Amino acid sequence: MVFNGLVRYQPGNSAVIEPDLATEIPEPEMTADGKQTWTFQLRQGVMCHPGPQTESYELTADDVVYSLQKSATTERSAYAGEYAGMTFEKVDTYTVRITLDRPLSPTLFLPKVANYSGGFIVCAQAVEAMGDEAFKTHPVGTGPFMFQEYTPQTAIKLVAFDQYFRGAPKLAGVELRFMPDVSSRELGLQAGDLDVAEGLIEAQWVERINASGNLRADVFGVGEVSFLNINITKPPFDNPLVRQAIAYAISRDDHVALFNEPVAEPVYSVVPAQLLPGGLTREEAEERGVLFEQDIEKAKQLLAEAGYPDGFSIDLITSEMPTYRRNYEVLQAELAEIGIQVNLNVVAHATMHEQIRQDVNPIVIYVAWRPNADAFLTRFFHSDSIIMTGKAPDTNFSHYDKIDDLIEQARYETDPDRQEELWKQANEQVLRDVAAYPLLFTNQVYARSTAVDYGHELVSSLALYPQITELTTINR
Amino acid sequence: MAQAAATASALAGPRLISQRQRAWRTFRQNRTAVAGLVLIILIVAVALAAPLLAPADPTAQSIRMRLQAPSWANPLGRDDYGRDILSRVIYGTRVALQVGILSVLLGGAVGTAIGVIAGYFGGRIEAMLMRLVDILLSFPDLITGLLVVAVLGPGLGKLILAIGLTIAPRFARLAHGPTLSVKKRDFVEAARALGVGNGRILRVHILPNVLGELIVLGSLWTASAIRLEASLSFIGLGVPPPTPTWGQMIRDGTIYLTDAPLYAIGPGLALLITVLAFNLVGDGLRDVLDPRSRA
Repeated sequence: MVFNGLVRYQPGNSAVIEPDLATEIPEPEMTADGKQTWTFQLRQGVMCHPGPQTESYELTADDVVYSLQKSATTERSAYAGEYAGMTFEKVDTYTVRITLDRPLSPTLFLPKVANYSGGFIVCAQAVEAMGDEAFKTHPVGTGPFMFQEYTPQTAIKLVAFDQYFRGAPKLAGVELRFMPDVSSRELGLQAGDLDVAEGLIEAQWVERINASGNLRADVFGVGEVSFLNINITKPPFDNPLVRQAIAYAISRDDHVALFNEPVAEPVYSVVPAQLLPGGLTREEAEERGVLFEQDIEKAKQLLAEAGYPDGFSIDLITSEMPTYRRNYEVLQAELAEIGIQVNLNVVAHATMHEQIRQDVNPIVIYVAWRPNADAFLTRFFHSDSIIMTGKAPDTNFSHYDKIDDLIEQARYETDPDRQEELWKQANEQVLRDVAAYPLLFTNQVYARSTAVDYGHELVSSLALYPQITELTTINR
Repeated sequence: MAQAAATASALAGPRLISQRQRAWRTFRQNRTAVAGLVLIILIVAVALAAPLLAPADPTAQSIRMRLQAPSWANPLGRDDYGRDILSRVIYGTRVALQVGILSVLLGGAVGTAIGVIAGYFGGRIEAMLMRLVDILLSFPDLITGLLVVAVLGPGLGKLILAIGLTIAPRFARLAHGPTLSVKKRDFVEAARALGVGNGRILRVHILPNVLGELIVLGSLWTASAIRLEASLSFIGLGVPPPTPTWGQMIRDGTIYLTDAPLYAIGPGLALLITVLAFNLVGDGLRDVLDPRSRA
């Protein structure tokens, strides 16, 4: 709401990328020395919000280069790794050229300059005047709403920016309140104190909200994938038969039923085929022999073959958050069926995140969205990302290291079709080795007053919440 | 405190048997207390006979039937994992009673020992122990419990330990006062003059004389311990899943208050009845032991 990118995910449909600050999406060009360049023409007359120490001014190539360079600097940005091997230069006031040492397909390049995480374009003069720290709690951008006030753990207030380049917003402002409890959010909606609120990721909740006359619950993407990561180095899970037994013990349908369709959907690879190129559909998983439908007898037999006819016992921790705890508790019951006793301890969400990164759980259930197959595969299954011991420890909980080549080959494949096939092969390999087992995909659930019109159809939002744009209205 | 000591010494005399009979008579006349006692007996019976009473396995999931409305097979309906709520409430009685009774026994034993030793020996030992007790008492119960659980980690045994430690200072404070007056009484002086050792004096002369008050406190705190367990479970620090506990069920059920109200109300009622029963008996016992309330 506060920032723009060079390109943006279409409001309400993140599958479509369209120009934002740029006038159009450029075609990449190759240079003689094998590098790739992308040249963006900027819109003219885009105004920056007035900052605490700066006046409103026109955004130019200087701001764009400054922002992307900021994102590429490790000390100033958490996303610096995404921008390695990229250089940014100003061609003229309204032209920016980005040079990539290694060419990328549009699927992988455009998200880096879209209105998400590192792609946000900030107003350079405001950042320079305020410093990075102060800027974090007082952002200055070019979006339809400008920052007004932040009360920690309470609320953020934004007001309309009338000089927004797509036209003045129809709403006077937006107030975002932090309310962790879903029942109080629901009461707030019913009382009319709130116009939009995050709901419960559960079909029953959606039905109930829709049954009340003045409220609507929207179910939309992008959702998060819940999947098992099994540590392939830790006995007894280093034995592939044990991992296969676990896969056959699980009922994917039961995990989906925990949240119910349409809020939850089954997935057949860690990369969800519903939303991203490179994922496996049910048919594809079956064809490639990596579907693993529940078969308790087969699971018991595999476990006996592996030398554990009486099963064994393991300790796992789970977050108290329902999306995690429920999956763990169902897994606990499923594994009990084949003789694996799971002692489950419930801990605070932050504690779980800290502990699983220190290899506490031999089986980690993780709930995540990543913007593309490369990010999913690299962060969860590339050997560099192995927790604790990897070169750049991230979220490779399974200690998996068998698809590094495929991931890298796919990353630098500029033909989208071939790239997609490589990703599918990588997914297939992960499943064949049962380093992971995809459980389900959960969509986002937000409820709104029927008076709210987002100004676009809500299919998917990368921000995980409905976008409030200059076109959003409330008609009471 | 003076009355308490008097009651206690009266109990210890040679008329002990008839005192007991009279106490039982007073208790019996208190109808609410008797009702409480009957309830406690019933609750204990339910806990013991849980496998016979529960219509289903409390941990058996059938996810595709989650949050099903009450029926003959599942009188309170099914929870969010499709487990039978009634069976879980019945089995939850076991955890509640275990925690309630064991933590009070533990807290009572530790606390009484501290209070009696402090009172009997006096001096620096007393100052040290009782200041420690004061510090512990200055924390609200839930906070002490929370801290202990956070340090020890989850689990039934640790939960009992946590609640026991929370309760101990109250027993220490209550045991301390009567000890101070009992130790100055003639029979204690006499015993000491005869050369009886400290250990034996504490055991035979002091402890029986301060026990009456402590039993009342014990039954009242059993109720509070059960409540505390539910509170800790409610904030997610209780017994690990899938063991059914009332607090956990209430916590999970509140999300579905409109869809499946009995999910939270069922264990809520069970908790209410149990806490009420122990409180009624506690009040009844207090009446028996408090001479001022005697007709």
